[in-house]
Amino acid sequence: MSLWIRSKRSTVFLGFILMLCLSIVLFGCTQDKVGNTSSGSPSETNNSSSSASKHVTIIHSLPNDTLDPHNTWIALRAGITETLLRLDENMEITPWLASDWEAKDERTWIFTIREGIKFQDGSLLNAEAVKASFERGITDSKALDAALKIDSIEASGQKLQITTREPYPAFPTELVHPTTSIISVAAEDSMGKVAFNSAPVGTGPFMVTSFTSGSEIRLTRFDDYWDGKPKLNEATFKFNADANVRTLAYQSKQADIVFHLSPEMLVSIDADSELDVNSVTSLRTHYFTYNPASSKVSDIHVRQALDKLIDRDAIVQDIMLGHASPANGPFNASLSFGNKEGYQKVDEAGALQLLENAGYSKDSDGKLQKDGKPLTLKLIAFTGVNPELPLIPQVVQSEAAKAGITIEIVSVEYPEVYIADHTDWDISTTSYLTSPRGDGGSFLNSAYVPGGSYNPANIEVKELKPILKELNETGDTEKRNQLTQQAVTMINKAMPHSYIINPNILVGLNNRVTGWKPGPEEFYILTHTLDVK
Amino acid sequence: MLLQLFSRMIQLIFVLLMLSIATFLLMKMAPGDPVLTILKASEGAVSQLDQEQVREQLGLNLPLIQQYGLWLWSVLQLDLGRSLVNNRAVWDLMMDRLPATINLTAGAVIVLLLVSVPLGVVAAKYKGKWPDHLSRLFALIGASIPSFWLGLLLVYAFAFKLNWLPTMGSGDIRHLILPSITLGFVMAPEYIRLLRSGILDALSQEYVRAARARGIAEWRILAKHALRAALLPVMTIFGMSLSGLLAGSVVTETLFAWPGLGSMVMEAIIQRNYPVIQGYVLLTGVFVVTANILVDLSYRLLDPRIRAKRGRGV
Repeated sequence: MSLWIRSKRSTVFLGFILMLCLSIVLFGCTQDKVGNTSSGSPSETNNSSSSASKHVTIIHSLPNDTLDPHNTWIALRAGITETLLRLDENMEITPWLASDWEAKDERTWIFTIREGIKFQDGSLLNAEAVKASFERGITDSKALDAALKIDSIEASGQKLQITTREPYPAFPTELVHPTTSIISVAAEDSMGKVAFNSAPVGTGPFMVTSFTSGSEIRLTRFDDYWDGKPKLNEATFKFNADANVRTLAYQSKQADIVFHLSPEMLVSIDADSELDVNSVTSLRTHYFTYNPASSKVSDIHVRQALDKLIDRDAIVQDIMLGHASPANGPFNASLSFGNKEGYQKVDEAGALQLLENAGYSKDSDGKLQKDGKPLTLKLIAFTGVNPELPLIPQVVQSEAAKAGITIEIVSVEYPEVYIADHTDWDISTTSYLTSPRGDGGSFLNSAYVPGGSYNPANIEVKELKPILKELNETGDTEKRNQLTQQAVTMINKAMPHSYIINPNILVGLNNRVTGWKPGPEEFYILTHTLDVK
Repeated sequence: MLLQLFSRMIQLIFVLLMLSIATFLLMKMAPGDPVLTILKASEGAVSQLDQEQVREQLGLNLPLIQQYGLWLWSVLQLDLGRSLVNNRAVWDLMMDRLPATINLTAGAVIVLLLVSVPLGVVAAKYKGKWPDHLSRLFALIGASIPSFWLGLLLVYAFAFKLNWLPTMGSGDIRHLILPSITLGFVMAPEYIRLLRSGILDALSQEYVRAARARGIAEWRILAKHALRAALLPVMTIFGMSLSGLLAGSVVTETLFAWPGLGSMVMEAIIQRNYPVIQGYVLLTGVFVVTANILVDLSYRLLDPRIRAKRGRGV
C-alpha cells in the first residue's frame, strides 16, 4: 500500500511539473494574442498581399522598449508621427507639418503650421498643439531639451514662434530629428502616459494596434491622413538584433523590407530573383583619431604618413565587399557640404618620404626608428555595432608593417572612456553618424571643440575657430554648406583624424514592394506611398 | 516547515541586500558614462554644461554611498526608479518582459523533460548497448553545440528551408517552438548524464534487488524506484537551471527577438542604464532564492527519508 502511495506521489509530482509548464505556455500565448490581429507567420505574410488587405512586414535591427516619440526614433520610423521639417532625398531640409519658416532674429523662429491636418485621435493640428508637444518633449527628454535649447514658445492660430536660449542659426536642422515628433498631448492626457507610450498618437499615416516591447509593432492605416490615403492597410514592424536571423527571415519571405543585412550573406540572396538588396550611402563615417598628447603622432608628418598607409580601396572591397565608399572628410562626399576632392590612395613611397622628413630611418631589420627608438604605435580598436570596425585596424596594421611601422592593436569596449582616462595610446578607431540632420555644424562643434561630446581626446584645431564662429552665426543653408566645406579643408590640412570609409546601409527589399526606397537618414521607413504588388 | 520558510525569507533579504551593494559598486567601477547615453539619444552636440546639468539632476554627482542610500530608500518604498534611456518605470519594463521569459522557461523545461528523461532512462536500461551509445552520442553533440549555432541551424531548417515556423518574434505558440528547442536541447545533455548515472546507481541498490525478488515488473522498478532516486541530484541542478532560465537567456532571446528579460538587460548593460540593471539583479535574486526553496521542498516529496527526519524533528 505504502509503495503504491509513494509511486503515486512521484507520478503526481512529475505530472504537476508538466501540467504547470503546459498551462503557463498556453496561458502566456493566449495573453500574447490579446490585441494582436495575426501572428506574422510565413503563410500569413505571403498571402496578405494577394488578398484585399495589403500588408507589409519590416524588420529593423534596433529593439525598442517604448514608442515614446520624444525618447526614441521608432514612432517616426513606423509612420506614427511626423516632424515640422524633414529631409528630402538630397538630404536637404524641406517643409513637412510646417509649410513655411523664417528667422525673425538670431534667436527667434516663426513657423507656419500647415492647415487641415488631423491627429489620429481626430483633433486638429494647430500651433497650440505643436507648442504642447514641444513642451512635453523637453520635459520628458533631457536630450531633446539640450538639443533644442528652447527658451519660450508662443502660439497663435497656425503661427508658432520659438525663441532659443542662445543664438542658434542651425535650429531648423534640429527639427528634422525623429525625437522632435509632433504628438497629440490631449490624447496623452486622456490615455495616460504609460498607455500613450505604447500607442502614441501623431499625424502620421499609420496608427498602432498593438506593441510588444522589444519585439514588434502592429499598425493599421490612418484613413484621414493629410497627404493622401496610405496605400497599405496594415504593417508589422519587427526588431531583431541578429543579422543572420534577419537575413534568413528575408530569404524565407517572412519579411518584405529588412534593414542592416550582413555583406557576407548577400551571395545567398542574389540567387533569388524576387529579392533585391539596396546598398544605400549612410551618414556614418569610420575614422582614426590621433592622440594630440602622443609624442609620435603629434608630428603632422607621421599623421600624414599613416593617412597614406590606409588602403581605403582594400577596406571597401575586401572588408565591406564593395558596400562602402572611401572617405575624404568627416561628411559623405555625396552631401551638399561634403568634400568634393578625391580620397587619399595608398602611397607607401609617399609615406616613407614623409617619415624621412620627420627624422625616421630604417634600421637593419627594416623597421623605422628615430634616435634609436622604433616607431611603434598603439591603436585602440572597438567592436561597436558595426562588425567591420575591428577589421579595419588589421588592414592598416599589415600595410604599416610593410613600411616598417609596428602597430599594436588593443581592443577596448568603450574607446571614449579609455581615451578620457589614458594617455598611452596613439591612434583610436572612431565611428559616428556625422550628419544625421542634413547639416555638418553639430558634428563640427562636438568633434573639434575641446569638451565636445565627440571629442574625448580634446582635439583643438586653432585655425578652425573663426570658421566655426561664423558657421554658428549663419542661418543661410548655402552659406553654411560653404563654411562647412571650408572647415573640412582646414581639418584635412591639420589632420587630427584620418577619415577611412562611409559604410553603406544594406536593405533587403522584396520585389513586391513599390513606392519606397531606403534613404541614408533611416528616418522615413513606413510611409503613405509604400505599397505592395 | 514554517520555520524553514521564515529562515529562507530572512536569507532572501540578506542576499538581495548584498547583491544590490555588489552590483552598485561594480557598475560604478565599470567604464562608461550614463549621462552621455542619455544626451546622445538625439545624436547631437552635447556640451560639458549640458552633461553637468544632467549629472546633477540625476544625482550622479553625489558621493557613492549617498547615491546608494537614495536608491535603497526608493526600493524600500517599492520604487525601482526609471530607465535612463527612455524614462519608463523599471518595474513596468520588467513586467512587460517577464511573461515572455516565463513562457520561454516553460517551453524549454518541456523540451528538456521530453528529451532528457526518455534518453536518460533508456541509456541506463540498455547500458553498454546501442541505445546507450546513441544517447551518449546525442549528449556529446548537445553539449558541444553552442546555443546561437543550434538556434541558427533550426531557423535555417524549419523557417527558411521548410517554411513551417516563424523565424523570430512572439505572438502564438509557433513562435515559442524554436527558442524552446534551442534552450531545451542545449541543457539536456547534463540531465541525460545525471539521470543515467543516478538510475544505474539506484539499480545496484539492495532495495531494487529486493523489489526484483518480489517479482515486481522491471519497467515498474525503473520508473517508480530507480528514476525517483535519480531525480534527487537532478532537482539540485534543475533549481539552478530554472533560476537561470527565469533570469532570461541573452543569446537565445536576442537571436529569436524574443522579448524577455535577457535581451532587456543586455541592452541595459550596453547603455549603462543603471536603474534597469539594478532592478533586474534584484528580480533575479528573488528567482534564485525562490527556486532554491522549491528545490528543497521537492526533496521532501521525492525522498521519504527527508520527510521522516524532519517529521521526527531531527
